Amino acid sequence: MKRSELVSRILITVAVIGAVGAPLFFWSQSSLMHARVAESGGWNPNIIRADVGAPLHLRLTSDDVVHGFAVGQMNMDGVDVLPGKVTDLTLTFDKPGTYTFYCTRWCGLNHWRMRGTIEVGGSNTDAEPAPAPLYVSLGLDIDAPHEAPAIPSQMPSAFRGESLIRGLAISQFINSDFYRVHSPYETFENLDQYPLGESQRWDVVAYIWQSNTTLESLANGKKLYAQNCAACHGENGAGNGVFADDLLPSPNSGGGGDEVRSMIQTPANFTDPKRILGASPALLQGKILRGGMGTGMPMWGSIFTEGQIWDLIAFIYSFQFEYQN
Amino acid sequence: MIRFISLVVLFAAGLAVAFAPLPAPSIAPQARTLRIDARQFAYSPSELKVNLGDTVTVQLVSTDVVHGLYVDGYDVSVEADPGQTATLTFVADRSGSFRFRCNVTCGAMHPFMIGKITVEKNDLLFRSVGLATLAVIGVFPLSSLLVERKDRALAK
Amino acid sequence: MNRIELTRNLFIKSALKNRHPQLAVFIVMLAGYVFAILAGLIGTPVGSHNFSIVFVWIAWWAILILVAVPFFGRGWCAVCPIPLPGEWLQRGAVLHPLDKKPKWLNLRWPRALRNIWLQNIAFLLLALFSSVLLTTPTITAIVLAAMLFTAIGLSMVFERRAFCRYLCPVGGFIGLYSQTAPLELRIKDKQTCVTCDGKPCYNGASTSLSANSGYGCPWDVFPGGLTRNTYCGLCMECLRTCPHDNIAVNLRPFSADLAKPSARLDEAFKAFIMLGSAMIYAGVLLGPWGALKDAAFYVGTSAWIIYAAVFLGIIFIILPGLFSLALFLAHRPSLKACLGRSRGVGRGTGLRTFAMFSASLIPLGLMFWVAFSLSFVLTNAAYILVSLSDPLGLGWNLFGTADVAWRPIFTSLLAPAQTLALVGGLIWSARMAQKAADESKISAIPVMAYCFAATVVMLWLLL
Repeated sequence: MKRSELVSRILITVAVIGAVGAPLFFWSQSSLMHARVAESGGWNPNIIRADVGAPLHLRLTSDDVVHGFAVGQMNMDGVDVLPGKVTDLTLTFDKPGTYTFYCTRWCGLNHWRMRGTIEVGGSNTDAEPAPAPLYVSLGLDIDAPHEAPAIPSQMPSAFRGESLIRGLAISQFINSDFYRVHSPYETFENLDQYPLGESQRWDVVAYIWQSNTTLESLANGKKLYAQNCAACHGENGAGNGVFADDLLPSPNSGGGGDEVRSMIQTPANFTDPKRILGASPALLQGKILRGGMGTGMPMWGSIFTEGQIWDLIAFIYSFQFEYQN
Repeated sequence: MIRFISLVVLFAAGLAVAFAPLPAPSIAPQARTLRIDARQFAYSPSELKVNLGDTVTVQLVSTDVVHGLYVDGYDVSVEADPGQTATLTFVADRSGSFRFRCNVTCGAMHPFMIGKITVEKNDLLFRSVGLATLAVIGVFPLSSLLVERKDRALAK
Repeated sequence: MNRIELTRNLFIKSALKNRHPQLAVFIVMLAGYVFAILAGLIGTPVGSHNFSIVFVWIAWWAILILVAVPFFGRGWCAVCPIPLPGEWLQRGAVLHPLDKKPKWLNLRWPRALRNIWLQNIAFLLLALFSSVLLTTPTITAIVLAAMLFTAIGLSMVFERRAFCRYLCPVGGFIGLYSQTAPLELRIKDKQTCVTCDGKPCYNGASTSLSANSGYGCPWDVFPGGLTRNTYCGLCMECLRTCPHDNIAVNLRPFSADLAKPSARLDEAFKAFIMLGSAMIYAGVLLGPWGALKDAAFYVGTSAWIIYAAVFLGIIFIILPGLFSLALFLAHRPSLKACLGRSRGVGRGTGLRTFAMFSASLIPLGLMFWVAFSLSFVLTNAAYILVSLSDPLGLGWNLFGTADVAWRPIFTSLLAPAQTLALVGGLIWSARMAQKAADESKISAIPVMAYCFAATVVMLWLLL
């Protein structure tokens, strides 16, 4: 064989082996964490182990649509996980335990199923037990009906309420111990000792609810609501978000027809006064923490901090009350 | 000679069709708000029509995953998550038909998630059809001219 | 006719004759091809960030349809790496031919299949799945691999480049449209070929036999009989083997081959397949109709079956049917009389006329593809830079361009360029139709009207 022929054959072989081998090698060295919509498998891997105090490096990529990544209970802003791109992220955990990470950008009806866990091991494995949430210590049945027996004829206004309370002793209502365990309707009932008309009492309730929160809380609640709730509950709280219809089986899919449809719970309508004015913050906290048990409502207990949930609840009441800006 | 003149006339007509300015529209500009639903891989409505000079506000509502909307020719864009309506406002100051398309990767067919906005009229389409008509007519004098030249060359 | 012989330039001639430059290009192409397969399989499943999709369907396609085919005809085939591994096996060498050939089956290709119907079918198969193929890296990788291995397999069973000539889904339309290109490989003098002993350009000449060694035409074409570019792969073997220096590569007027169009039905239908699929793609992929995109993408659903049926219906019934109607009208004496162009009875009716006239759709079809491709290539060109730096979507940044933001380029030039392409194609095709009509002594107007109508539809779809 002539030398040029031999060299050419070697070159072809090397080129092909190189074109296969080099990328295969680098590919096998890269450890990416893949995000896919829940229907295609969600996170891969979805269980991660880490140690207390040791930085955990994650290289995140999406295989389909825009996702986001955040770890629950850490008050952490999500990072974007973009299709075909790699996001580098370093996390450090102070406490051992099991953390939930979740997708922070809506990626379809089953977005909230896109969760995984980080198991953080460490020396002090006996972490202090979390205190029981309020609804548990109160023994509330959060699935029981809680409709307000009476509702205001117009939207209660905190501004009008403020002008009505001059000379009235209502300070016992403005503290979280009272606020969290009473529904607006119960507060309305409690106000009947005062010389006020019905709509005036509702205005005072609005004022009390506003006084039990802060502008920062409301703003934070609004942000959390837009990111996590509005897709089902609607941007205006009316329970008509873009996924609300998808939660029902379609009428022509043969899935049981009207009977089944009427049994399936649609996203709560926060603009419905009966529903919200009859619910105490503790009750709402329970619903958010635990989730909807078989409805599309996710369980948020492992995601939100307690403070975030109270902010969210404060914002939900703003669908019922006119607050001052 | 007649053929040559007719070709010149057709060419001039072509230039006129391609570049002649159109009378300015008489409708006063207004502000419009258009709601567009986005899903994998289509917009609804996917064909919009506005008048020249209108201030257009697009409310983009994503109904499944994060989508975007980029308007060709205007180079403006917006991105919307489900549950978070996003708005994009621009002044429709260039007439014609423009594609708008998703600019946030949203799945396999993302590059072909396309809609169309027509500002005033799709001028270019009408001009192009005009040009195509003139072109087809022009082929007759053109080819006789070419045949003639060939014949003359052969005669030599 | 007025031609410029490029091979008269000694530098060009020796660059083409020498095997090493071509082989060097082949090796780079083959490495890229294999890498594209691998990228499709192991890289990110996100098409717009995967080398296989971006480099095949944006970069390669742009170069092929906007540059290679219109200006170099089968120029792509001259550097395409697909036949390389198969030919190594078949020839037992990658450079100069050996005296002793390996003993493969070396069969002649079956006579019944010596046409481009298999290529038409292969193209249509890909076309019906195109929305998935264009967007899914694994599918693209599988198709690329299938083409490579089919070519290797066929090289061991049949002689020459059976895959390229009879099966390649791309080769069919490259061949059809290469007739419009201003580049050709032809013999210089007919008599030299007639008297040539042994016809080494067709039969090959091994190194020991001749100073001009080379393989017999891999495309199964006798260069002496070349009148059209369609089946000449520009591989330059005949340039190397010809002992009489009788092979030339010429610059020539555009679409010179169409002066004497072929009357083959397989090629005629190729013209309709390409014209129709350009229009369908423009509507489905670039149009604003979401339901159409769903139907095209969700392969196997009832909507897709309807889409496939309509697709085939447009290509095999509607477009050729209307064309036949146009030809029927063109033969009517009344039409010719009213135009004052009566020149006796038109001759050559039926399938032959149909096939000959369909050649006038070739320039129009090519320009439809140019206009269609301009749109998605200019829109998505930014992905080329991204994919160059991070071909597998593993977070690399090889050339610092991994984070280039997506943005269409030259948007203001796009629509005028499309108009120019389409109107130019219309003039070109109308002129071809007129020449053909003059030869057949029938009216050109119905076919010109057909071209005009197709152009208007395409303008409406694209603008």
